[in-house]
Amino acid sequence: MSKIIFCTISIALLWSSRQQKKYANLAPEYLYEVKGQKPICSLIDNKEGNISMLYGNNIALHAANDSVVRQVPGADYTLVTWKQKEMPGWYGTNMNGEIYAVETLKVSQGEKQQPKSDYRFKAGKAYSSVVVRSPDRGQRIHFIIDQRAAILP
Amino acid sequence: MKKTRSIAYCRTLLIIGVLVVGFVLLQFTSPVIVNPPATKEISAPEEVSRILKQSCYDCHSNAANPAWYGRIAPVSFLVDHDINEGRSRFNFSEWDKNPPVVQELLLWEMVNAIEQGKMPLARYSLLHNGARVSAADLAILKKYVNSLPGRHKVDTARIIKPTALPVGETDAEASRIPVSPNGVPYYPDYKNWRIISITDKYDGGSMRVVYANDIMYSAIKSNKMPFPDGSKMVKAVWGKQQQDSDGIVRPGNFQNVQVMVKDSRKYAATEGWGFAKFDGLALKPYGKTAIFDRTCINCHRLLAPENDFVFNVPTK
Repeated sequence: MSKIIFCTISIALLWSSRQQKKYANLAPEYLYEVKGQKPICSLIDNKEGNISMLYGNNIALHAANDSVVRQVPGADYTLVTWKQKEMPGWYGTNMNGEIYAVETLKVSQGEKQQPKSDYRFKAGKAYSSVVVRSPDRGQRIHFIIDQRAAILP
Repeated sequence: MKKTRSIAYCRTLLIIGVLVVGFVLLQFTSPVIVNPPATKEISAPEEVSRILKQSCYDCHSNAANPAWYGRIAPVSFLVDHDINEGRSRFNFSEWDKNPPVVQELLLWEMVNAIEQGKMPLARYSLLHNGARVSAADLAILKKYVNSLPGRHKVDTARIIKPTALPVGETDAEASRIPVSPNGVPYYPDYKNWRIISITDKYDGGSMRVVYANDIMYSAIKSNKMPFPDGSKMVKAVWGKQQQDSDGIVRPGNFQNVQVMVKDSRKYAATEGWGFAKFDGLALKPYGKTAIFDRTCINCHRLLAPENDFVFNVPTK
């Protein structure tokens, strides 16, 4: 009788271990939600090893679809940048890893009809692990405004 | 006592006899391994061919050469299954059956399967000592795939913008929503979903943005797998423009969107996921028949089972 019980328990344990599937650990901390803005385009930075997503409100999106690059009052942008990491499960693709920085740009009407730019930089977890280097404000504003919208049908 | 022993002895002889007869009869049903003539052998550097021949050819070519025990039933049934399955995925002796872009993708898939220890099959490596791919040989294969044309592909064409209204964004457009041969539709509202992944697929020269609906996004936020039914993802794919002097690569022409939708019952044959692809600005559904998605799941099943068969989710 004890032998039957032992065999039954052994088989049950073996069966349950076979059924339990091991899943990878997701990384929700890599997600960054930008509310109230639409995606403009993604960008790969091979020099810094980063990958980014540029978002904008309707005015910014419209400006990014224009053939002429200009700062349009009312345009709001968010540029989220991550460190690249090799995609687990597929050598041949790099994807977004830890957040490197979040930059925002608000363009408004300034004096004498000149646009006024309110640029903010927020370092992410990945940024603090490298030598701190203050971003060039003017260069970053131009970079954000320069990007054209990716095509989607 | 003597009579009991005699009965047990006869019973044992009977059982052995039945097994032997059964074994002999089984051989009449044993499959014969056939090697059709090669149509086009893969052309690769000698050091790469050496690795493919030693580790892959027995299942993935028309030069299968099973050992003697592999030709005897019941083992021959397993060998025959593995060879047929292997050849159906790709065949080095009929390499021209796939266009060059697919050939390159298959080679990257092989590198990944080897790196993850999924190939060669464990049961094959156990009985074929030299079949396991060493770290040094894997490095040779990696160097090879990185030399293929797709690795540095650049989209230099003029960027074409859509001329038609976006599909599905008006009532009039709703009827034009494309549907894949397997019934999976295009989801025009994906542009309102949240982005979960941004990628540089440098093996083939494309860059991608992956959107997830609320169900999928919530599941990722709460670290919940398997993903629940109703989870949806849409991946938008573009070519890559030439890198500028600052190292920045921007999206080129739009190429396609790819869809995954979870319904455990409807898509049970493909691990609960419905797959679809819509090509070009016209969003033409991909696939000649409804089972085109078997090609999709074969790769996802082999390489991403731990992610509930999804590649493009953020994982540690």
